[in-house]
Amino acid sequence: MRQIQVVMRTSVKRLGVAAWFTLAIGTSVFSQTDSTTTIKMGVLPGLQFSVVRFTVKPGDQVKLLLDNTDDMSHNLLIVKPGTREKVVALANNLGEAGPAAGYIPETRDVLWAIPVTAPEESRTLVFKAPNEEGVYPYVCTYPGHGTMMFGAMYVSVSGEMPQLAEDLNIPESRRDGKTDESAGHLGHANEKPVMLHPYTPVPPYHYRVFIAGASPAAIAVALPHNVSYCWDAGTSTLRFAWMGGFLDNADLWKGKGDAESKIVGEVFFRSKIDFPIQIGNKAPVRIAYKGYRMKDRYLEFHYQVDGTDVYELIRETTDGKGIERNFRIPDAPTRVTFRSSPYEGVMYIASKGVWKHHVLQLTANEARAFTLTLTKTEKQ
Amino acid sequence: MKGVFFALSISLLMACSPAPESGEAYMVENIKTPKGLASQVGALEFLPNGKLIAAFTRGEVMTYDTITKEWHLFAEGLHDPLGIHVVDNDEVLVMQLPELTRLKDTDGDGVADLYENVTDAFGITGNYHEFNYGPEMDSRGNFYIALNSSSSGGKMRDEVRGTINLDGRDGTTGNRQMFSTVPYRGWVTKLTKDGTLHPFAVGFRSPNGIVVDGADNLFVTDNQGDWVGTSSLFHVEPGKFYGHPGGLVWTSGWSRGNPFRLPLDTLDSMRTPPVVYFPHGIMANSPSQPVFDYTDGKFGPFEGQLFVGEMNRGRIVRVMLEKVNGKFQGACTPFLDSLGLRKGNSRLAFAPDGSLWVGQNAHGWLGDVGIQRIVFTGKQPVDVYTMRLTSDGFELTFTQPIQDTAALNPDNYQFARYYYLYHQKYGSPQQELERIRVTDVKLSRNRKTVTLQLASLKPGFIYELNLGDLRSKWGQPIRSGLVCYTVNELIKD
Repeated sequence: MRQIQVVMRTSVKRLGVAAWFTLAIGTSVFSQTDSTTTIKMGVLPGLQFSVVRFTVKPGDQVKLLLDNTDDMSHNLLIVKPGTREKVVALANNLGEAGPAAGYIPETRDVLWAIPVTAPEESRTLVFKAPNEEGVYPYVCTYPGHGTMMFGAMYVSVSGEMPQLAEDLNIPESRRDGKTDESAGHLGHANEKPVMLHPYTPVPPYHYRVFIAGASPAAIAVALPHNVSYCWDAGTSTLRFAWMGGFLDNADLWKGKGDAESKIVGEVFFRSKIDFPIQIGNKAPVRIAYKGYRMKDRYLEFHYQVDGTDVYELIRETTDGKGIERNFRIPDAPTRVTFRSSPYEGVMYIASKGVWKHHVLQLTANEARAFTLTLTKTEKQ
Repeated sequence: MKGVFFALSISLLMACSPAPESGEAYMVENIKTPKGLASQVGALEFLPNGKLIAAFTRGEVMTYDTITKEWHLFAEGLHDPLGIHVVDNDEVLVMQLPELTRLKDTDGDGVADLYENVTDAFGITGNYHEFNYGPEMDSRGNFYIALNSSSSGGKMRDEVRGTINLDGRDGTTGNRQMFSTVPYRGWVTKLTKDGTLHPFAVGFRSPNGIVVDGADNLFVTDNQGDWVGTSSLFHVEPGKFYGHPGGLVWTSGWSRGNPFRLPLDTLDSMRTPPVVYFPHGIMANSPSQPVFDYTDGKFGPFEGQLFVGEMNRGRIVRVMLEKVNGKFQGACTPFLDSLGLRKGNSRLAFAPDGSLWVGQNAHGWLGDVGIQRIVFTGKQPVDVYTMRLTSDGFELTFTQPIQDTAALNPDNYQFARYYYLYHQKYGSPQQELERIRVTDVKLSRNRKTVTLQLASLKPGFIYELNLGDLRSKWGQPIRSGLVCYTVNELIKD
């Protein structure tokens, strides 16, 4: 099929979730003689040109827009067929003369070049495609980039290109049609099962992660029975809990980490109270997160409420339908209250104290050790 | 007469000393990491018992027995750990994204059970670039922690930790330049023994390298980008400003609004320049952790000098510092290129046996993964040992005597000088790039030191020296012929 690849980018936000669409448009839409083929070229994380290959007809007018959407500088050289590696080697050999030359070696093999383009800068190259059919590589010769960051311009009358998977003119990591943000960094993504660690994590275990619904100082914990929770070291509170799985960290761990960990399963508890514990009659002023301790692999959090130590160890319930929050306030100087909300998705049961309007009242003695069991409210 | 005798005895001594063994002075060995470990190294140190302790991007902290070659999991679940301070065999401090954490094995089972918050008294917006580096301890037990500026390529999350001040960014979206909208992004902070974190010095963009020398001097590397014309090494002193404006909003008593709006001249006059520039595309594009060689000669002849990792190629850079008019400045040279060394050289640590361990990382940028070690083979390297400023040029001392015919030929010393702009733009081209002629060469009696007189010597320039085919007395070529000296100060007569 004769086609021209036109690539459009719908979002101009840098490094945002830039969505890329490849539109295949029949050649009848474009006139071949006096048209300009426009290629909008961005840069993806992991040293990749956003457009890894395109076709033009011999003698076509080509407008190549390089929009450096990366956070490193890049150039773009279009070179004669079969000379990519040689040109990259020549660029490397420029040594200390490289910066002044823009890392562009003096050789006839370089047909056109877009000079070094800083992050957020754009440059345009307009040229007439060669009359001779062939595969013309384009490559960034910025130091260290040349072996990974390249693509292919197919100059042909037919507009045909090989199957992507079999195209030896593009980086191997792009032959699956996906833009691989982790190119070469996370091991072989197709290997199954994927080992995330040099051991198999067995609940309870935890990750400190970026996750929606908590501060950036979140701690996500996997418990047995596929129950999980997020305790926030930024606020010293339990933020939410879920069932049916733990986390998908694929996005968080690939590339630069500009992503969030994704919850696997269904949230059954979400705290509606800023900070639930009050010691005495005054609302707490200073909450200080102190850390956690592993107790049979369960995390016991330690924080201070206006200088009074609070310990909180969270387990799954034995039936797997909720969580147990085991509190210790060994030096509670006076009575303690724990506030809850009826809109949190759970039913609370307290081992000690008296509930009044969703507020648990505990004597100092009761507060030394008490348990709150949070069970998922069954839907009506 | 006495002089003649002295010269004679020197030459006799030299004639009698055996030629050093030829061959590579350093070799690179691969360290096998366990299966299933994404070996993106965030931190690397040695325990008093000689074991390696390393932290990885997915949150594992593991120890490695260099004799049995066994790996052991010490802690897990950390968020982007990028620094380790060893307290004892069973206790370390780890700098992770949200806090400095004490990991301690309190029950002796070999696994940390205490994860204690040592300090989290700094802000995080959830921007991916809010890396934290250190902690580096001085002789008094203070810790220094460098906090990366937030990236214009990322965002602030809806919920942040810390007070927000939007004057710390340029424009309403913050997507123009690296920014500091929560305390103390872009600062080096100091954690005193009472547990208080103090803002210490400001103006850093991406300070992926922090080290304290034996005399409590603090040095920090920074990466080329906006306001950093080329990557740099700073000597960091309290209260000083090192160039990136965002963090200035957290200066005590700051009343000048958005620092990005200050005139360039004003910012320039406030700032302290680097002590060593790493010319971009020439020396290093992304310098990382610096370590001083205090191995007492076990790593070769460069005792007291600084080694710095480079992320973008298989290179370790060596830095030779001196004090001119009481201020540090100096030179850098490629210490090791290739020899099997991978890219992504992010973390360095000297082992008790004097080998230099290198942890590699890519983290979505250019790099590699894994751990390697660089071993001094005992074969003496032929290298520039020191480069010092003189009143009218430079004095180069080599590690070995140099053949005199070549050593005395001025054409074997090709100098160029240039500087980089201080501006908002990302990076900088070389400015006023110019060749500088060598007008006179003198060689010392021991043939180890050449004194070079230059046709012109001006402050504010990097002097890039490319050596010709100089060889040791025994015919071995110089390992690296490239040395770049940052001239901030001229010697005052």
